[in-house]
Amino acid sequence: MSLYHHQQVQAVRGGFSRRSFLRNVSMGALAAGTLSFHDLMSVSAEELRKQGRAMILLWMSGGPSQFETFDPKPNTSSAGDKQAIKTAVSGIEIAEDWINTAKVMQDIALIRSMTNKEGNHQRATYQMHTGYAPSGSVKHPSLGSNITREIGDRELDIPSIVSVGATEGAGFLGVDYEPFNINNPGNIPDNVAATVTDKRYQKRLGLLGRLDTEFASRGGEVVVKNHKKIYDKAASLVMSPQTKVFDLSEESAELRRAYGENNFGKGCLLARRLVEAGSTFIEVRSNGWDNHADISETLSPRAREVDTGMAALISDLKQRGMLDKTLVVWMGEFGRTPKINARAGRDHYPRVFSAALAGGGVKGGQVIGSSTKDGSAVQDRPVEVTDLFCSICQSLQVEPRKENMSPLGRPMKIVDGGKVVSELFS
Amino acid sequence: MMSFTRKRTIQTACLFLVTLSVPLCQSASFAATKSADQTDKRQRVDAVTMAEKIDQLLEAELKKANITPAPLANDEDFLRRITFDLAGRKPSTSEVILFGLDGSPGKRRAVIDDLLKSDEYGVNWARYWRDVIYLRATDARSRINQNEFEEWMTTQLNQNKSWDQITTDLLTATGDVRENGNTALIFAHQGDPAELAAETSRIFLGIQIQCANCHDHPTDKWKRNSFHELAAFFPRVRVRPVRDATPRTFEVVSMDRGTDGNQYAQRMKMLQDPSMLFRLYDKNRDGKLTEQEVQRTRMARGFEQMVARGDKDGDKALTAEEIKGIPAPENMQRFMTEYHMPDLNDPTSMGKVVQPVLFVGTKAPEGLDDIERRETLSKFLTTPSNVWFSRAIVNRLWAEMLGEGFYTPIDDIGPERSAVYPEVLNTLSEGFTASGYDLKWLCKTITNTRAYQREMQKKTEQQHTPFAAQSPTRLRGDQIFTAITQVFGVDELQTNRNIGNRRYQASRSARGQFSSLFTYDPSTSQDEITGDVPQALFMMNSKTLNEMLGTDRNTKLAQIARDFKDDNDAIQELYLLTLSRVPGKAELEICQNYIQEAGNRNDALEDLMWSLLNSSEFITKR
Repeated sequence: MSLYHHQQVQAVRGGFSRRSFLRNVSMGALAAGTLSFHDLMSVSAEELRKQGRAMILLWMSGGPSQFETFDPKPNTSSAGDKQAIKTAVSGIEIAEDWINTAKVMQDIALIRSMTNKEGNHQRATYQMHTGYAPSGSVKHPSLGSNITREIGDRELDIPSIVSVGATEGAGFLGVDYEPFNINNPGNIPDNVAATVTDKRYQKRLGLLGRLDTEFASRGGEVVVKNHKKIYDKAASLVMSPQTKVFDLSEESAELRRAYGENNFGKGCLLARRLVEAGSTFIEVRSNGWDNHADISETLSPRAREVDTGMAALISDLKQRGMLDKTLVVWMGEFGRTPKINARAGRDHYPRVFSAALAGGGVKGGQVIGSSTKDGSAVQDRPVEVTDLFCSICQSLQVEPRKENMSPLGRPMKIVDGGKVVSELFS
Repeated sequence: MMSFTRKRTIQTACLFLVTLSVPLCQSASFAATKSADQTDKRQRVDAVTMAEKIDQLLEAELKKANITPAPLANDEDFLRRITFDLAGRKPSTSEVILFGLDGSPGKRRAVIDDLLKSDEYGVNWARYWRDVIYLRATDARSRINQNEFEEWMTTQLNQNKSWDQITTDLLTATGDVRENGNTALIFAHQGDPAELAAETSRIFLGIQIQCANCHDHPTDKWKRNSFHELAAFFPRVRVRPVRDATPRTFEVVSMDRGTDGNQYAQRMKMLQDPSMLFRLYDKNRDGKLTEQEVQRTRMARGFEQMVARGDKDGDKALTAEEIKGIPAPENMQRFMTEYHMPDLNDPTSMGKVVQPVLFVGTKAPEGLDDIERRETLSKFLTTPSNVWFSRAIVNRLWAEMLGEGFYTPIDDIGPERSAVYPEVLNTLSEGFTASGYDLKWLCKTITNTRAYQREMQKKTEQQHTPFAAQSPTRLRGDQIFTAITQVFGVDELQTNRNIGNRRYQASRSARGQFSSLFTYDPSTSQDEITGDVPQALFMMNSKTLNEMLGTDRNTKLAQIARDFKDDNDAIQELYLLTLSRVPGKAELEICQNYIQEAGNRNDALEDLMWSLLNSSEFITKR
């Protein structure tokens, strides 16, 4: 589940491990062939870590309808019940539930021409997190895990990658880059606070250490060494004064209200605090976007929560001068059908959907691409998942073609294919 | 008639022999020994005899390398190891004591037999196989029948169904997934032929053929064709929702007819060259098809959709160019009864039909329906001449029990991989094949070897030698969970209501939650399993565990504190309870000092139990 960072906790019991052999060979080959490039990369990678770039993913689980969010189609057969409203940017209209987001539209770039082929929740969620279709033989790392590996701060006590709600994991990048999962934003996460006083906790750890030494002397030394690394890391989190980052009561009541006193709002506020404290990637999940029935009634309460949280997050980041280096992305696994179905809902529709980006060098106040008049297809400038991912990499200054070795010794790019959506940054 | 012929043959043969010259006699006797050897291989050998043979082979190898293997483990270590491996739990305090007191020489063999007879054997290994299959699932919905699979697999294992039978049942499964646990593998991949080919090969042959999906295998001899020919055993498998079922469920079915693949191909061809459509339907000959023109023709049904996808100028009519421009649907494969190998140069085309062939076996006859294809594949896989079938499972179980396999990783074996002590693996695999793929025989053989029963050794600088000493290995999540419940003397642990998904019962149970935190893919090599911070946080700080540590409540620890007034006795009892052994001298001293310095005896015992539960040893098979 958790992150724990770059420290490679690898038990190599000696002998011959083919996987690590392949890893070493590829590193060796890289070094031999392009030594200067390799040196250059490691230098600039260190610099990037210091730059404090970060990303917050607002994930709309279930597949948010583009018509009721950022691509309304008033007065067409696809309109549904919602009206379109004006935003702070003239000429850009969004759906009526999004009044707060409308006010910060100058900071948001909308992509209305996202297109994909996957219409199954799990498969699409996997693809929209990893950039790859699911496969039984390899678990791809999520983009967040890749980003954290590339630019995360190695010295941090608190997790570098956090998810408020369930998400995809680090895949073959391993436990060091697993998102740290938080179920109740606002409180210290489960199991992070010790159940005894600090003094007694330290004494327990001391006793544990002495007993483990005995096991090591019986032949368990490799196991004990690994165990100690993990426990040291866990204990430093437990004892760290930085865990107060999880406690939202430090924020003013006014600001907490602005974000919204619900899990999504709290998650957004926590995300800002984590970025401030040095985390690299935070996902905040909003559930309930799979509106197959009564979309007009079921979607609004969710939309208002997300509208409040997202707008507060963008304004807050901006006010603190953090927006330039923090990319906020709003998206879900796919869009929904132009047709309202017999149950007054909309069904899955990956052919065209919307995404919203703010901060991290993205030029706000613009719409990229468009859907046809009835919203059934991309009209102009299709943007594929890999294009979006390349753009996210660009914002975070991560090299999308960087290859990591999968367990079977197959090099895999962070993003395979795709092109940066250059309009985002112009 | 029959006997007559036979008699005649024998007579003829005898006559023949008598008249033969000496050299031929020699070659005849040579042939006789050879065939005797072959029958030997097919003859079931007793597990204990085989274990001895394996040990002799291994020890000869070690001797050649001038390595002295570690001595056998003491009774406590052996009992804990075997109980985890065969029954998925730790031995109880009384089991440890009784086993130590038992003076009979055959007691290890006897405990192996007892554990193999217990129902816990099936439960333990069913959970193992659940992780093998579901942790690689490409469709997360498959979790809905995890419990059914576990139950089904437990029954198979406890009835000691042979491995070829289990394999066949998994590959030929049909029906409602909630009623048929053996649909697990197919359901986990939504019946997708390519994923099923990859997983079938990985799990049952230990061969990673999926690299050959897009190109010839980079490090093995397999060609791209081999992968797709394996996938061609599965093109008619379908997984579909069961209508109006509560709770929601799915079924695995065969699609042998329905939309015929050829019909579909014909339709595709027609769209690529629509001239015929225009000759038939373009009544006013204006080069455009309209809804009116195709009314009541076979084009009527799909016309609206075609317009939506192909109409570029928005006139609701389709020109030949517009029809040609309609992209082929993504889910084409769903409508086809034959497997089409994708054409890498033209990814949107249908690709070419390939016939089912098993790359380490033979070609299937043509014209088979779905079940026949899957049965044929099962037969090819499980035929005794396919050595990879038995090597894969032997290597897998050996690695699970000894901490490392002959091949590493365990699911990447094959003709171009190198194994340690290949002749040992081959001997054991041949024995397993001869046993009729008897899984209990295999477990019994492995656990009866001295190789399995050695003690751990302090690592020296010298190179690591496989199987010369016990490798400490990480227990699986289910085994740790069971051990914790045993330590606290409870049936279940408390669940965290904040997590889990209401749709999947397993994620709501304490075991399910614990498992999702502690489980690792059992196909991972031990040297890549390290545990992580959330696991440590759970063991250290979770309310669930800490509530059961209090001496101020009615807990196991409070009882020990009360019943054992002497510190030494209490420490000993705690060690037996958590680690199934008595403490060593140094350990006893550390604990005594701790209790004395602490002042408060109860607090000190809580701290001690906390430390033992959080120790490396608690989560390790030693």
